[in-house]
Amino acid sequence: MTNTLAPPAVARGAAVHIAGLVKHYGPVRAVDGVDLVIAPGEVVALLGPNGAGKSTTVDLLLGLITPDAGQVTIFGRTPREAVVAGAVGAMLQSGALRDNLTVAETVGEIAALHHRSGRLAEILAKADVADFARQKCSKLSGGQKQRVRFALALVSEPDLLLLDEPTVGMDVEVRRRFWASMRDYTVGGRTVIFATHYLDEAQEFADRVVFLRHGKVVADGGIAEIRAAASGRTVGVTVPGVTAAELAALPGVDTVDVREDRASLRCHDSDAALRAIFDRYRQAHDVEVTAAGLEEAFLTLTADEEPRP
Amino acid sequence: MNVRYLLLETKVVLRNSRFLVFTIGLPAVLFLIYLGLFGDQSFADGTPAAAALMVSMSGYGAMGAALNTGMGIALERGYGWLRQLRLTPMSGWTYLITKAVLAMLVGIPAIGLVSGLGAVVGGVHLDARQWLTVTVGVWLAVLPFALLGVAIGQYATPDSAQTMGAALMMVLGLAGGMWFPPEIVPAWMLHVMQATPSYWLRAVGLSAVGGGDAATGVAVLGAWAVAAALVATRRYRADLARA
Repeated sequence: MTNTLAPPAVARGAAVHIAGLVKHYGPVRAVDGVDLVIAPGEVVALLGPNGAGKSTTVDLLLGLITPDAGQVTIFGRTPREAVVAGAVGAMLQSGALRDNLTVAETVGEIAALHHRSGRLAEILAKADVADFARQKCSKLSGGQKQRVRFALALVSEPDLLLLDEPTVGMDVEVRRRFWASMRDYTVGGRTVIFATHYLDEAQEFADRVVFLRHGKVVADGGIAEIRAAASGRTVGVTVPGVTAAELAALPGVDTVDVREDRASLRCHDSDAALRAIFDRYRQAHDVEVTAAGLEEAFLTLTADEEPRP
Repeated sequence: MNVRYLLLETKVVLRNSRFLVFTIGLPAVLFLIYLGLFGDQSFADGTPAAAALMVSMSGYGAMGAALNTGMGIALERGYGWLRQLRLTPMSGWTYLITKAVLAMLVGIPAIGLVSGLGAVVGGVHLDARQWLTVTVGVWLAVLPFALLGVAIGQYATPDSAQTMGAALMMVLGLAGGMWFPPEIVPAWMLHVMQATPSYWLRAVGLSAVGGGDAATGVAVLGAWAVAAALVATRRYRADLARA
């Protein structure tokens, strides 16, 4: 443990507090100095390419592996304490189901271990698995298996849910239903952290996105913030009789491309640029503001400066 | 230990058809076949063959049940179920202990069925103390196999666990004198047999009817149990350190 300082005031009431977290496997630094504070009620997407350290971070949060340095607290407790108290539930990425058990038996065993056997029927209904509760896990489709894993995560009614690639193997319709039941679950102010490859999921569901690359946090912010930070907005406007140099001098504008009278302005502050345009050029018309997609932001932020071996 | 979890696991094991066939059905059927062939004979030392066969087959079934249940750890690890269990309040040690207790529990049906057949159709007549030895005594003597299964289950992969389970049953059954009696083999082979824990499992049961050395049996089985527990513990600690 390199970090022996008490967490700052804001972190003491945090759902998750990660400080100086490091985990390496041989020469590979899977998690390489991550600091993160997540407030109760936040829905956070962990985004990043393969090998960015998402799954390792999730395992560290759950106490499934021990960090080489740094510390993790969940609601002020160690990960193991949080698990024992039922404060954290997780949907693990791989496997986790035994072929020869039925769905009800699978969830029933985990419920027994959490001393929640009385709630079994309720959990099965909530996770939308009651219809096939008597089937063996070996007979389930990929999407059904994911729902069973979701049921396992819900057993202890955790205040923090960790989901590692939760919708892998789900078709579009199942995915939609999954996120709907997830929304139901977070209505009461529960905290969710999910690792995902799907940018649209992060965009639609998360309040906040944390980009990981090579085990480090490379960007962290609200969806809008991240998008803006990565590429700002593009303003299209028709301004008869104006030169590119004049437009480039406006506040908030980075680069300008003019064809005929139509200008395309790449802006870091499109609001300031537009105010200036309407102030100075009464003839300006046909304004169009577009934000770069999260995909573009993601690619910009996580593109490697140098090719990896 | 979580009793409800233990009972749920017991139910899962006992309704597994493979388990029922190989650790309860097979020993019972073999017992009946052997009984038909040799049931009215006795060994040179006066031990009635029917009682000896009864002990061999109940011990064989219980041993198989215990070994395979412990080795189920490899399957649960392979499925990723162990990770799921680690997200519950149950500690890793409790998991291993529960597994060993489960392995002991599921050994009971084989002993019960074969002993029952012995009493009803095998013509085995024993007093209460003798019955206690061939049932409860044999059951307790299965403990090293339960622990051995837990130890091996932590090393094996899902595939190797299946193969090793079957191979171990074969070797321990044959070399332990459960499939053919040590009373009739040459001296050198007897020495080989005495190196196996299954030979001593049978000996504990046979001591009830005068044909086995219970004291040595308990000592040897005790040593196997301690050794298996140490291996299981060591492996578990090493796993923890790696994480």
